[in-house]
Order: sequence, then C-alpha cells, then structure tokens
Amino acid sequence: MMAELRTEEFIVNMGPHHPATHGVCRLMLTMNGEKIVKIEPVIGYLHRAIEKICENRTYAQCIPILDRFEYVTSMSCNYVFSLAAERLAEIEVPERAEYLRVIMLELNRIASHLLFYGVTAMDIGAYTPFLYGLRERELIIDLFEMTCGQRLTYNYIRVGGVSKDIPKQFVPQCRKAIKIIGEKLTDYTGLLNENPIWLERTKGIAVLPADLAIAYGVSGPVLRASGVQYDIRRNDPYCIYDRFDFEIPVRPNGDCFDRYMLRIDEIRQSIRILSQALDGLPEGEIRHKKVKDATFKPPAGEAYARIENSRGEMGIYLVSDGSKKPLRVKTRGGSYNQLQVLPQYGTDMLIADLVANFATLDVIMPEVDR
Amino acid sequence: MTKEELAAYITENFDGKLKPLDSGRYDPLFEVEADDLLDVARALKEDENLRFDYLCNLCGVDTKEHFEVVYNVASVSKNLRLDFKLILPHDNAEVESVQEIWPAANWYEREMWELYGINVLNHDNLTRFLLPDDWDQGHPLRKDWDAPDFVRLPEGE
Repeated sequence: MMAELRTEEFIVNMGPHHPATHGVCRLMLTMNGEKIVKIEPVIGYLHRAIEKICENRTYAQCIPILDRFEYVTSMSCNYVFSLAAERLAEIEVPERAEYLRVIMLELNRIASHLLFYGVTAMDIGAYTPFLYGLRERELIIDLFEMTCGQRLTYNYIRVGGVSKDIPKQFVPQCRKAIKIIGEKLTDYTGLLNENPIWLERTKGIAVLPADLAIAYGVSGPVLRASGVQYDIRRNDPYCIYDRFDFEIPVRPNGDCFDRYMLRIDEIRQSIRILSQALDGLPEGEIRHKKVKDATFKPPAGEAYARIENSRGEMGIYLVSDGSKKPLRVKTRGGSYNQLQVLPQYGTDMLIADLVANFATLDVIMPEVDR
Repeated sequence: MTKEELAAYITENFDGKLKPLDSGRYDPLFEVEADDLLDVARALKEDENLRFDYLCNLCGVDTKEHFEVVYNVASVSKNLRLDFKLILPHDNAEVESVQEIWPAANWYEREMWELYGINVLNHDNLTRFLLPDDWDQGHPLRKDWDAPDFVRLPEGE
C-alpha cells in the first residue's frame, strides 16, 4: 500500500521573518516530507553598504559605522578596524590601553556567548535559559554603559588606544560580575545537560566534518567544536594575548551539542583571561599621543587584520592611499562562512533539526549582509 | 616559519610567479599574473611546507587606475598567513574562479562580481546576491559610482 502513495518535493520558505533566523535571513528549503533535500540561503535583506559608506568617511568616522557591522560584539568591530589602521601607520599602543582592550573584548565575548546560550535554548524550545542568559549579560552591559555610555554600539576602541578611561568602580564591579557569571555556569549546564529532550535534540545532530569546515573557511567555536584547534588569539597573536595563560577548548564531535558546550567552555577561559588582565592592569596613558582623530592619515599601503571574535574570524582588509579616508575597507565576518557551509552538510535531516543546527552556528545577519 | 622565512621560501620555490610587493604592512604580500593564478593557488595549497588550505578573505579593490583582486589565505596546519593579489584593467575585467581550490571563495567571488562588475570565469552561481533582484544601477563599490542622493562636499583641510 505505502509504495503506491505519490510524493513530490515542495518548497518551504523559512524566513525572512522567522524567529529562529536571528535577523532577516531567508532559507529556501526543498523538502521531501519532513526531510530537507536542499537549502538555499537568500541574503541581502540587511545590506547597508557599510564598505561604501566607510570609503567616504575619515578613519575616526568609520568606527561608529563599523559598530553596526556586527552589533552583538561591536567592541570587536572597533578593535579590528583600529588594529588594521595601526598596522598601516605602525603605531605602538600604550600598555594600559592594550589591557583595557583585552578586558573589553573578553567581556564582549562573554556577553555574546550568553546571548547565544539564551537564544539557542529558546529556539530549541526551552524558555528559562533565555532569561538566565540575558540576566547575566546585563551585568556586562552595565559595565560597558558605565565606561562609554552605550549599551550596544560602543565606539570605544579607537585608533591608537581607547576613547575614555574606565571609572573607579569598574574594576571591583567587573570582578564581581565575572565571579557571578563563573558560578552561574554550573546552573546553565545543569539546566540543559541533564535534560533528556535537550540531549536528544542536540547530540549527534548536524555533524560538521572538520575538512569541510576548513574548506569553507569556517572559524571560531564552530571550527573548534569539529575538533580543529585553531584560535587566532594563539595562532596569529594580536594585542597582548600572548601574555595570558588560557586554554583553547576543543571538542571532537562537531554536532550541535559540542558547538553549544564549546561556548560554555570559552566563557570559562575568558573569565581566566579577564582576572589576569584585571590583576595586571597598569596605570598610564590610554591613547597614543600623536594620533588625532581629525588628522589621522596612515601612509599608503595595505594590511589585513584578523581577530578571534565570538563568531569566528573577524577581519578587515584596509587599503590606504595616504589620504585621510580609506581607499578600501573590506569586512569579513565569521557568520558569512558559517552560513555558506550550511547547505553543504545541513541536508538530509529533519526540518526541526535545521533550527537547532542554525542556532548553534550562531549566525547573525548584519555580519553577513553588511 | 617566520614571516621573513615564508617570503624567502616563496621567492625560492615559485619561479618568480609570485612577485613580492612592498606595500604590505604586516603579512607578506605578493603579486600574481592573471594567467598564473590557478597554478599558483593550487601550488600554495598543495606544497607540503605551506598547505594554504584556508581562505580568510577575498575581495576586489578599485584604485581608480585599475582593479585589484586580493586573496588573504592562511594555513591551519602550518600556521602561516599570506596575501596575494592580481591587477586587472578597468575594461572587461575578468578573473578565474578559485572555488575548486578554496570552496569558500564561492560567495566572495559572487559578491565581487555583483559589487565591482568583475566577471568571474567558471563560477557555478553568478546571480544577484546582496543587492535587490531587480537592481539595474551598476556596480556600487566602483569609485565612479555614487548613490543618487549622495552629495559630495568640497574637500576641507
């Protein structure tokens, strides 16, 4: 009887406005019943031409524009652009500024992973973790607000240093915040890792093989969850990361569960870096004396700067022609490649698993569309 | 391998197909001829001391005189970084696709095709990407392109 039932493939549009696509991404799914046959991402809904806008701005004016490039971790956007400009102009940044940068970058990484923890769990159907993740993220956002007055787009890290020194209460409050977050991590994993539904939905689901990940330029936690130990903080060191003692977590399976757990592991390592940076924070200048926002002109040349962001490799390819505006600002974000690899391994599974898969890739659309 | 050793190794082993440029400020930067692109890219990936298996970034640049296509590559296993670029004339700019060598290039090349109008040969999917499907106003990242409502102020000091 079953053999005589006629079936045919059909198309389901997931998005552009779908709660699980974290922004406006449309996935055109060719379905055979509940199985996915083909995934075709359709992007560009959030294209704001950031690269073109930057070409018509001075270097200092580019930084608040680039805040919007990847707004969940805009400290990283500020930093990677500053790093590229500093490489062009061959500027040494004062010690205190380097420490402040590490503190901000790592706090932002934790904030991003906490958001990931919350929304991923919510996508898969658990609501409580969302409230927990955002509650602890608030502690970090408060620290940013106290430092630069902003909660999302910071415009804090500038070429040659940082824009403001931290207020007096920052260090004690930051120590308190990372202590609380460190303790809560056990709650987080306790909530999910002993839940049979969660394990069923994530373990062994959507395995991304390591060679495919490397071929498609996948980086960051997604790559390391596939068993590749590659972290730009270690492999192509920038800032002062070579001074800190921390581990690069790696997990072997490449499934949804490993991608989620890897980010929890990373929060622990970020807390280690933070406590070392807070202990070692020296007094002194926070900005290179010769860099003035209005007149900054790096000599002609080109440089690619890349850093380890919470979504993988974030890079800026910066070309200067010696004038006060950049000739070319090419932005590269981890989400772009994570979304590009999705059609290669995300097929032949249930549509419900695609939601878990997409959530654990942690793609955010402003970084893809720019 | 340090950056200097890498630059020396490339000069020694690539028969001058990768010419060093001094405008690179951090990582070694080379120039490649359009005809040699695929050979060089394949050799970079397959050379057992280099193994450039990871494409970080690929982009077009418009310098007003010509186009450039820049490849930023890395080696995950050997932990190396390298940039190379090729220079194309403004008229009928076209470049071979490297997606056979680095599959990640697919989207980057598609984006470059759309925003710069640099034609990519042997690419499997050159269709509209970031811009609207009915876009007919040219290639926005070219230097001679301005948005219709964009007003360029006179340059001050």
